[in-house]
Amino acid sequence: MTMARKAAGRGWHLAARCLTALVGGYAAAAAIASLGARLLPIAAAEATAWGMILSFLLFAVLGLWAFHEHRLGRVALVIWGTALASVAILLLLGPRG
Amino acid sequence: MAWIHGWLGLLAGWILFAMFLTGTASYFRPEITRWMQPELHLRAVPPDMAAATAVAWAQANAPHDEQWYIYLPDDRTIATRIFTRPRPDAAAARTARREEVRLDPASGRPLAARDTRGGEHFYRFHFQLQLPHPWGRWLAGLCAMFMLGAILSGVVTHKRIFVDFFTLRWGKGQRSWLDAHNVSAVLALPFHAMITYTGLITLVLMYMPWPIAANYAKPAAFAAEAFGAEPDTPASGRPARLVPIAPLVGAAMREWQGGRPGTLIVRNPDDAASTVTLVRDGNDGLNARGGSISYAGATGARLSASPPPGPAIETAGVMLGLHMGWFAGPVLRWAYFLLGLTGGAMVATGLLLWTAKRRRPGARPFLGLGCVERLNIGAIACLPAGMAAFFLANRLIPAAQPGRADMEVAAMFWVWFGLAALALLRPVRRAWIETLAVAAAAFAAIPIVNASTTDRGLLRSIASGDGLFAAFDLAMLAIATGLGFAAWRISRAAAAPRRRATVARVPAAVTELADAA
Repeated sequence: MTMARKAAGRGWHLAARCLTALVGGYAAAAAIASLGARLLPIAAAEATAWGMILSFLLFAVLGLWAFHEHRLGRVALVIWGTALASVAILLLLGPRG
Repeated sequence: MAWIHGWLGLLAGWILFAMFLTGTASYFRPEITRWMQPELHLRAVPPDMAAATAVAWAQANAPHDEQWYIYLPDDRTIATRIFTRPRPDAAAARTARREEVRLDPASGRPLAARDTRGGEHFYRFHFQLQLPHPWGRWLAGLCAMFMLGAILSGVVTHKRIFVDFFTLRWGKGQRSWLDAHNVSAVLALPFHAMITYTGLITLVLMYMPWPIAANYAKPAAFAAEAFGAEPDTPASGRPARLVPIAPLVGAAMREWQGGRPGTLIVRNPDDAASTVTLVRDGNDGLNARGGSISYAGATGARLSASPPPGPAIETAGVMLGLHMGWFAGPVLRWAYFLLGLTGGAMVATGLLLWTAKRRRPGARPFLGLGCVERLNIGAIACLPAGMAAFFLANRLIPAAQPGRADMEVAAMFWVWFGLAALALLRPVRRAWIETLAVAAAAFAAIPIVNASTTDRGLLRSIASGDGLFAAFDLAMLAIATGLGFAAWRISRAAAAPRRRATVARVPAAVTELADAA
């Protein structure tokens, strides 16, 4: 590959990593927090509040890990995968009865 | 981690600096509003009296409205604020939206003072960034997340965090900026981490509503379970008069064991099914949400109260309280203010470190470096000038001028961006010196303009024991001194290397002339 094509490849990789960290990280943090709120065996209002409170820390940690972990494939799989899986489980479960 | 720390800080730094400055100023929101209406000399009254005069005004001016929102004064805000919502059918006949009214709590008469946003302007800018809803809050939230990431990565990056705490090397260029950044960041690290995280929590319902959707088919059910259901009995259609409000306030204060009401919400005031909800003032404790008690308006009977919060809801309330600092007495409030300024210093030194690291003496700066230098000047030097212009405009625009509140706000933005634009015409070093000097002059002018346009100048305030006005003017002078000192330091550092260069160049010029001759 030429130097220019390598650089362009790196540019797309960086963009993909940024998108995964920012959008994927938000989606994963929201989904995990919501799943935790749904499954925690305490009062619904309390579980909901804990999920909301802790979600930002989760988002920050996921976002930083997305830039710390070298393999982009792994980052994308973990973040997008967790987000999709959690949302799927939540949709199947539905809100608390 | 250092790489991401730098990028997070750089991309969000200018907005974060503005959020820090305006947010820090907002710890004195009511004081700023009082300084900006020098005509008023209100005295604090007990809450039952303030409630009684407010209800009397509402009964005289909006007797058939659907809801009255009455924000009772405390010892800092002094004035009562009332906002009423008209009935849907009546609203069709009235095109103008009801404005908020401010009353003298002792007499119940509307305030006669110059129209101004006061401290509300900085407060709203702090989390809305003068952008239309919801974009401002989203952008502020994004910057707060970047800040959270920068804090975590900053701590991870900084392995020698405690040794470097005691290191401050003056006059060594990039190394000095790094030391200053470390000290301001580490010294107040618990505050910075707390203020960032609790800031996100203040708007959590907007930023992270998804756990509510996971547990509740109807989002309103969460609010009802967490904070107590609002009384929403519809109007019965039978007219009735409200019972006197002062005894209800007394009953609530007894139930709260001395806690004060901060807000009064009256629904369907002229109806037999009217309700009066008293919301406790957030000043009483760390939890900013103090709970509420509802009474029947026509009989005074106690209807319901908000449930005591569970640990999670209590935690959220305490986080809100820590961010807002309503519970703080005067000493702690000044501590909040100084810690907020330290946060601003952390962001500013970080931005300055970024350029110091990449400046190569003699080499032409790359485009990105030039942009960052100019944005740094625009944020760090020109925003303070804009804030000073807001205060100067308050004194210089005539009190009776219509639309003066918007003009004051416009003055801040015109001076902020205008000065930043003018600074583009100057070389970077001169731009720093001149913009900081303009900002210093603007702040120094505030006490002078205050003394010449009102009867509450600095000397008069000190003589009459007016603590608020005296402290405000002195604070303006202190800020002016700080900015002026910064401008002076930069001008000295700029002069020294240039002198050496001039000396070196003279022999070459002489040689050239000799060759030409």
